[in-house]
Amino acid sequence: MSIQSLIMDFQKFWAKQGCYLAQPYDLEVGAGTMTPDTFFRVLDKRPWKVAYVQPSRRPADGRYGENPHRVQKHFQYQVIMKPSPSDIQQIYIDSLAALGIDLQDHDIRFDEDDWESPTIGAWGVGWQVMLDGLEITQFTYFQQAGGIDLFPVPVEITYGVERLEMFLEGRDNIYDLNWSDDVLYRDLRFREEKEFSEYNFNHANIGMLRKSFQLHEKEAQQLIQKDLLLPAYDICLKCSHVFNLLDSRGAISVTERVKLIGQMRNLVNQIAQKYTSGESSS
Amino acid sequence: MTEFLLEIATEEMPSSHVKTALVQLRESLVAELLAQKVDAGEIKTYGTCRRLIITGDLASRQEDSEEEIIGPPKAAAFTQDGSPTPAARGFAKSKGVDVQNLEVIKTDRGEYIGIRKVEKGIPTKDLLTEIIPRIVSFLSFPKMMRWGKSSFRFSRPLKSLLCLFDEKALSFSIGGIPSGNTTTGHKIYFPQKIRIKSFPDYKKALRNKKVIIDPEERKRMILSHIERKISPKKAELHPDDELLESLIYDVEHPYVFLGSFPEEYLDLPLEILSTAMREGQKLFSVVRGKKQLPFFLGVADAYKDSKSLIRKGNERVLKARLEDARFFWTQDLKISLKGRSKFLSRVVFQEKLGSYEDKVQRLKKIVAYISDKIEVVKEKKYAIAAAELSKVDLLTEMVREFPSLQGKVGGLYAREEGNPARIWQAIYEHYQPVGLDDELPLSVTGVILSIADKLDSVVGVVGIGIKVSGSKDPFGLRRYAQGVCKIILEKKLSFSFPRLLDKVINVFGERLQEPKDLLKKYCQKFFSDRLRYIFERQGYRYDLIDAALGAGIDNIYYSYLRLKALDNLKESAQFAPAVLVVKRVNNILRDQLPYKINPELLMEKEERELYTTFCIIRDNVLPLIAKGDFTKAQRIIFRVRSTINDFFDNILVMVEEKRIRRNRLALLQEVSKVLNLVADYSRIVIEG
Repeated sequence: MSIQSLIMDFQKFWAKQGCYLAQPYDLEVGAGTMTPDTFFRVLDKRPWKVAYVQPSRRPADGRYGENPHRVQKHFQYQVIMKPSPSDIQQIYIDSLAALGIDLQDHDIRFDEDDWESPTIGAWGVGWQVMLDGLEITQFTYFQQAGGIDLFPVPVEITYGVERLEMFLEGRDNIYDLNWSDDVLYRDLRFREEKEFSEYNFNHANIGMLRKSFQLHEKEAQQLIQKDLLLPAYDICLKCSHVFNLLDSRGAISVTERVKLIGQMRNLVNQIAQKYTSGESSS
Repeated sequence: MTEFLLEIATEEMPSSHVKTALVQLRESLVAELLAQKVDAGEIKTYGTCRRLIITGDLASRQEDSEEEIIGPPKAAAFTQDGSPTPAARGFAKSKGVDVQNLEVIKTDRGEYIGIRKVEKGIPTKDLLTEIIPRIVSFLSFPKMMRWGKSSFRFSRPLKSLLCLFDEKALSFSIGGIPSGNTTTGHKIYFPQKIRIKSFPDYKKALRNKKVIIDPEERKRMILSHIERKISPKKAELHPDDELLESLIYDVEHPYVFLGSFPEEYLDLPLEILSTAMREGQKLFSVVRGKKQLPFFLGVADAYKDSKSLIRKGNERVLKARLEDARFFWTQDLKISLKGRSKFLSRVVFQEKLGSYEDKVQRLKKIVAYISDKIEVVKEKKYAIAAAELSKVDLLTEMVREFPSLQGKVGGLYAREEGNPARIWQAIYEHYQPVGLDDELPLSVTGVILSIADKLDSVVGVVGIGIKVSGSKDPFGLRRYAQGVCKIILEKKLSFSFPRLLDKVINVFGERLQEPKDLLKKYCQKFFSDRLRYIFERQGYRYDLIDAALGAGIDNIYYSYLRLKALDNLKESAQFAPAVLVVKRVNNILRDQLPYKINPELLMEKEERELYTTFCIIRDNVLPLIAKGDFTKAQRIIFRVRSTINDFFDNILVMVEEKRIRRNRLALLQEVSKVLNLVADYSRIVIEG
């Protein structure tokens, strides 16, 4: 029982459902939803099925390696299916069975939890999936992104890899998880959590980050004018991560927060609009 | 009568959606059946988060309808010997009947020939096939979604439709889902299709497949299982109706489990423990007296936990949450509320209204004012101290984690720091009441701070031009205003409300954009409307409410006393005659300019009498009004009736001579003024 065997089980399972297995995106993102394999692909009308692991960074969640279940980087297993299959809930339940969980012995609940991201003009309807009281998955039918009604409707399933593995191994501490038979999560991630918490909270250079945000914002703006939407979007992701770092440094006042989020939303909405209006040379 | 059954199976809907959908389904089906003249017995609904169910006995077809088609007059239809004329033959032919089938129909205009056609009712089965898709498609939910490749919108994706009439499946489709005679059981234990013949069969089959369709039955199960689990421990459930209501719909088959957690977490206050349990895991606290025990109760969607995995899983998750809560508690307490308060200026209350620091400064002034006005001067310094710390908990980790605990957390920290009860309790209670049925602050300081906080929000938000209308109430101002009224009414607080409004408007200084007089007027109307809502909810007659509020809300508590007095006396024999007399006075004064009375001009006996009686009454009634004794005041007013009647019977008001006319009008105006201080009697409806 290990994280890597969990990932392998998922890869096999979702490949069998017809998903293309993407590799993790190579930029810092806050969630699997933000990578191009989700963001762009849900916008258009073409069918799309993809599954991938995405390392996700939330600088403010760092706890110097001292909290048994909060970390500033975790792994999501992200699935997108468009259009949403009519039996997707059953497929999801089967995916848990594929990990060896016998649901006859457990309590699985789909609790109302609608998702919204004003930054990318997106919202969806769905649930947080609770397994014996543990939140293991966000399950969302996307309705809008970039301010655009999505059709066909994509369904997004985002599993928390560490959460699920803690459930499977019955552990109380994330660092005790097995990554493989002989490598622990602690061996791979403990020092990283400690040092990055130190960086995120105390050492990230605020002046440099502020400047960097504005430079990137300008760059993205120019790329949008040139219809280079994919690079423009990458630059938006950089802005977003820089914003999160500034936030964890406690450097963003309330008015500034509104302003910076507004700048990002503006960029992302322009990209989404251009992408769907067919102006881009896709 | 023939049995009808519809089950709409979906993916998990929020409990509020299930409840509104069942009401809508019932109402629209009943309305359709009535419109279509289909006789029906009682229509019942059931439901879980995964199914909406409606059933009842219906007539097997619509009522027959009879139609008369009138032809030519009888005289023109038959010759003398009784044989049909060409007119009759032509009519019969045009309607496709034989001449022998023509009947004589008597009308107001005389005898005509014509035909009676009996239209047989359409079979209910055919009507339902058309009605059901329509009413289901028209169901509306607080938030709707699309899925797959369909543009159909619903609460959550539709899974299947079961529709039976007379034990046979009706055939239609909704949102691309065809109807049939099958359903499925519990999503984990029995996901296979089962065929259904009738409602009793359906209920039984689902029970076997671990689905209890009746919410009432699930509620009984949950409550009795909880009782069974905790009575041996001599413990009670920490009541939480909202949680119970949602759990009833969240599960198709309730299974109650009792779990425990390490006693070391019992150091945390009950408020924090119970919130940590409720939010996320939806667990109940178990208490003895008001003290938390190291146990919790959960409700699973299951029928067994033979390996105890459900209980153990929940225990593990809860322990982590409690660990977090304890971490926040000790971290937060490292910085005193006072020390933390300097950061309030960084938290925005509302962009135009400033930070929470600004709000706190305003609250300090408002609570000082209220303390003076309700004559609790000894509480004043405590109320000000509480106001000072009231918003600091917004900066704590605990409130960031559990926003619903705002206020309470601040109060608990203030208590830990050794603040006197009058301070910490005020902070703890100052968001109460949240809803109309919520508890009110117990402490005097809490009462003062709660009123101040809510009024500051209402006046501020309205003052920057944000108006409440229809479903638009983004700041929940109605709830705030109702909270203020509720506190004033139940705590019997008597003070001038318009002057309090002046005070609150003034503490905002230059921040408000609306002109002060308009703002004040709007607020008075706003609070008057909220009072009306509260009174209506308490079941008072609407015209009595109008009459009580029509006298103005100079003093909110007095509005209630006015209403109470009207309500007390409404059955008395003097009530209706007195009201009629007041109306008579008001009628004659309509559209008159105000005049000044000159007692020396009163010459006739009846007008002098009215004046003397009036003076006596005025001198007796005004002090009663000031004291708020409206019942006594009204009883005295009832006594003027005969004098006024005598006046009207013997005195002509609208005489030629201007001086006399105006003087008589002035007398009536004086009388009316006093009467209207008690209530606006013109709003009262007198039957018959």
